[in-house]
This record gives sequence, C-alpha cells and structure tokens, in this order.
Amino acid sequence: MGSIGSVSATVSPPPGSRAGGFAASARSLALAPFTRRARRELLFCLVGIPLGLCVMVVPYWGVGFAQAAALLTPGRELTWVAGVAAILGLLLLIALATRMGRGLGAVHRRLAARLLEERVAPPPPLRPRRGLLGRLGAGLGDGPGWRAVAYQLLKLPAAMLGAYAVFLWVAGLVNLTYPFWWGLFRNHPPGVTLAPVPAASPFPGRELQIATFAGTFVAFAVGVAMLLAAPWVTRAVVAADRRLLRGLLGPGRLTQRVHDLEQTRALAVDDAAARLRRVERDLHDGAQVHLATLAMHLGMAREQLGDDGDPPDVTRARELLDAAHRGAKDALGELRDLARGIHPPVLDHGLDEALASLAATSAIPVEARCDLPERPAPAIETIAYFCAAELLANAAKHSRATLVTISAAGRDGMLLLEVGDDGVGGADPARGSGLSGLAQRVRTVDGRLEIASPPGGPTRIMIQLPLRP
Amino acid sequence: MRVVIAEDAALFREGLVRLLQDRGHQVCAAVADGDALLAAATEHRPDVAVVDIRMPPTHTDEGLRAALELRRRRPETGVLVLSQHIETRYAARLLEANASGVGYLLKDRVADVAEFADALARVAAGGTALDPEVVGHLLGAGRHARGLAALTPREREVLALMAEGRSNAGIAATLVISAGVVEKHVASIFGKLGLPPAEGDNRRVLAVLRFLRS
Repeated sequence: MGSIGSVSATVSPPPGSRAGGFAASARSLALAPFTRRARRELLFCLVGIPLGLCVMVVPYWGVGFAQAAALLTPGRELTWVAGVAAILGLLLLIALATRMGRGLGAVHRRLAARLLEERVAPPPPLRPRRGLLGRLGAGLGDGPGWRAVAYQLLKLPAAMLGAYAVFLWVAGLVNLTYPFWWGLFRNHPPGVTLAPVPAASPFPGRELQIATFAGTFVAFAVGVAMLLAAPWVTRAVVAADRRLLRGLLGPGRLTQRVHDLEQTRALAVDDAAARLRRVERDLHDGAQVHLATLAMHLGMAREQLGDDGDPPDVTRARELLDAAHRGAKDALGELRDLARGIHPPVLDHGLDEALASLAATSAIPVEARCDLPERPAPAIETIAYFCAAELLANAAKHSRATLVTISAAGRDGMLLLEVGDDGVGGADPARGSGLSGLAQRVRTVDGRLEIASPPGGPTRIMIQLPLRP
Repeated sequence: MRVVIAEDAALFREGLVRLLQDRGHQVCAAVADGDALLAAATEHRPDVAVVDIRMPPTHTDEGLRAALELRRRRPETGVLVLSQHIETRYAARLLEANASGVGYLLKDRVADVAEFADALARVAAGGTALDPEVVGHLLGAGRHARGLAALTPREREVLALMAEGRSNAGIAATLVISAGVVEKHVASIFGKLGLPPAEGDNRRVLAVLRFLRS
C-alpha cells in the first residue's frame, strides 16, 4: 500500500532500447539463472521447505500426548488414558493455533521482506483479554491468527513446489557434470557390460538411464534445460507464495481498508484545513486590504470636504474619491477571483464546459475533450477541474510546451482525466510542485494519480477518480 | 510628529503615508517587515511607529513581536499596532508591561481619519489607544457581570472610553458632556468597582484594564 500522498511515477524506457529486442530478450532468458533475483528466490524456496513442512509435525502432537500419558500411567487401561490425553493435546493445539500461526507468520513476513522485498504489513495485534478463558477466547476468535494458520496449511503444498524448484536447480547442475567424470569411472575393459547410470530428468521418479558417453551429453542437455527453466519455475512458485503472503499474513482487506480510510480521512481533513487557510490568507491579503484602503481614502476625502460650506481643496478631494473608486473596483475583482477559486460557477454547467473555459483562457494552446456518459458527483467534478487547472498552470509555467491536451472520459464507474503536453518533461512530485498536493487531494476520494514525465518529455499525467465518491 | 510605518500591503502603506502627510506629520520611513522597522526606528528615532501585525515572512504575528522588541529597545517611542482582526490576547501581550505609549487598533479605524489621528497622537504622547472592539470583548466577557451590573448605562460608556485610553477631555467630547460630569462618573465608577483612585490617564487605563482582565 502506498504511503500518504503517494504518487506512482512511471518513466518509460528510452526509445533506443527497443532496437534488437529479440537479442535482448534471448540474452535475458539465458542470463536469468545468474541474476541476484533468481538467487534470492531460490534461497526463499530453500528456507521455505523446512518452514513449510514443519506443519506436518502437528498431527504427531496428539500422538505424542497419548504416548506421554501411556508412559506416565503404567498398568492403567492404556487406550482410555491415551485417548483422553490425545484429545486434550488437540484442544490445547487448537487453543494455541492462532498464536503459533501469528508467530510463524511473522517469520514468513520477515523472510519475504528480506529475500523478496515483499513488504507485508503485520496484522493488528491480538487484543489481550483477562483470565484464562478470556485468553482462550481471544485466541479462538482471532481472525488474522486463523488466516496465518491457513497460510501455514497452504504453505505445505507451496513448500513442496518450492522443493521441486530447488530440485530443478540441483539436479540440473548435477546433470551438467556427467560428461566430465564419465571417462574417469567408465574406463572398463571392452566387452564388460555395466548397469546404466541414472540421471535426473525434470520429472522426478523417471530418471534417464545413461549407458554411453554420448548419453552423458543428453544428460548435459537436459541439465541445461532444467537450469534454464529453474528460475522461471522458482519465480512462479514465489509469485504464488507472494499472493498467499499478501492475502493471508497481511492485515486483512477490511483492516487495510480501515487503515486506508484513516489515512485518506486525515488527508481530507488536512486538505480542507489548508484550503480554508488559503481562503483566509487570500481574503486578508487581497480584498481586506483593498477595502481598508478604500475606507481610508473615503475617510480622507470626507476630511477634505469638511462638514459644511465649500471644501477648501476640491481637487485633492476628487483625487481621493478617484482612488477610492478604483479601490472599490479592485476589491470587487479580488472577491470575484476568490469566489471563483472556491467554486468556479462554470462548473455548474458540467465538467465539459468548465474544461472548455479553462482551455479558452489558457496561455498555451489547449485541446480539451470530454466524453462522459454520466455526470460525475459535484465533488468529483470540482476535484477534476482543479487538477486540470493546476496541471495546466504547471505546464504553462515549467514545461515550455506548445500544446496541452486535456481529456476526460468515463469508464467502469471511473472518471479518467489525462493531461499531457509536448514540453520538456521532468515533472517530479518530490520537487515541491503542486503535484503531491494534487495526489493527496485525489487520494481523499480513493482516486489515483500517475505521472509519466521522463526528462526531455513528453509529460502525461493520468488521474483516476470514482464517478461517485 | 515623526512617524515610521511598517505595513506589507503596499496599497495600504501608501495610503497611510498620504494620510499622515496630509495632516502635517513627517513620515521618516515606510517599510514592509519587522526587521526593517527596527532598523528604521534606530535610524530615525521616530515619535511613534505604526505597525501591521501580519507581515512577512510568516504572516502571523511578526508585527507584534517587532513592536514588543521596539518597545524594549526604545521605550520612548510610541507603538500603534494595526490589525485586520482583533485578538484580545495580542492586546494583552502588548499591554503586559505597561500601557503607556501603546495602541492596538483595527485597520478599519483608519477610515475615521480624525479619530485615528487622535489615537496616534495619544500614543505618541505616551498615552494608550485600545480598539473599542477589544474593550467590548473585555466588557462582554461576563467575568465581571456582577460588578458591571452596578453601573449605569452612562457609566458603562465612560468605562469603555476610559479603557480605550481616552482622557477626560476626550470622553467629554465624545459623549458631548462637560468635563466635570465626566469626573463625577469616573469617581462613581471607581467607587462601585472598588478600584483604588488612580492619578493620570495612564494609571487609570491600567487600573481599568487590570480590573477587566482579572
């Protein structure tokens, strides 16, 4: 899950890299077994074998209890005591299962973080309850704990698949050695028939039988094939394991959702407070100053005109009234801008009109397209509008673009807003532009903002918003 | 009167300069932030400084902090602080040490040119000018409802004007009554509120404000 206000920035590869695509992919295929990633995934599978198989010990737990009971109570009726002990053992196991699951889950999570860089957030801690029964109940009702147990059970087949991946690596390597030692051990006199030597095949249990030196090259070739396949099998096994990890050892979808909502709510609150502060600031620095100055000018004019009789200095009074008049008009302009900044009236006619009016007033030529099957909720329209306005302003300020395209489309209940320009690119949310603020604002309604802006351009910014928040 | 102005909104600053010059005062410097104010005050030794509370860089209370610093460095310079909105706590900070040569007014008051000029002159002469709104807040705070209930409406008016820092003559002019009547009201107010009699306008303001804030 992304951190607060995260922006996923994807930078497309430089155009030159696509030349010789086939050679490059053949290279990467051949080198796959030697990458750091392949080594780490292999290690993960290797460590996973004992960790995964340890769950097989569990059935023996009951047996162990039964045997212990039998040893401690010689001469009694064995079967009866052993049965009770086994049942007690199983009950204890069930009571402790979630705690053990959580413990092992933590080990798995740490392993995945270390070897796979797959960071899964830990589930919320067990809420402690008082007393033996309370603790028992807490353990039994522990959803994340049971999910960890489920992971442990599913890890069993996963570990077996992992073991197969490890087998491919090891057996493949062993097969490579056949041609080298064959001559050392098979220098028997002619006429002697020796039993063929088994060599591993990708299908365990169906070995190759190598009887001649030429046959060792078959083993060698099979070994190469196994080694080439091994990283991909490992990756597939690991990928499945990753899914299990995320699904079962994480905080759970509901908890994660609550966590996300908490974050986005905090963002929304911050965003609202920041906007109010900005409005206050604009009022204070703009309209209020104008009005105070206006009042001052009128006051001075009033002084000049005096209480009765002819004013001593009519010209000065006229000047002051002129200044006051100008001030009043400026104040009106400020207030109008401010009101537009809070809610542009043109938005009342729909996003398409608002975007068109934005395009019409832009400094750079803008192509605006809007294709929405239904009208989004007002809040969404407002966010989309301000995003477009901000991105357009950014493009005008930094991109040196000659054309900006804005498109808004609706699909599957989502509003897709895309703003692109043919400028110099290099838009970076980390560099204090308005982008991170936009991303935050978009996140408050579960939207997403993606930036593709390689240095040299072009820049494309995609925003996804739900049509209804 | 020699005046230094610190106000970051250029429009309003120019208006102030014009207003004061029209009334025959000398504006030695008009600056836009607190540091420049302190420098200008050291250089020009003005009688009074007019200071906006919100100025760069933080736009919160640097004007107030500069004003307090100015009073510490040059107690003989009056400081009139202007603000877009009234904050009783700011007034309290300004008046904390002593009320002589201090003013705290809403910017709107500048529109009543004569009143503003009067307040500025009072502050320059070591008096006090407290915005009616601050006084209204203090009077309306409810803490002294019982004490204030003993006052007649006229006495409450006089009390408010005293708290604003006006002299007997000023109060008499505002309420269109004679100075003698004002004196009688003042004595009566001090008696009813149980305040020790205070000589001089400044002491009187302090006594009243201390009562209202206690």
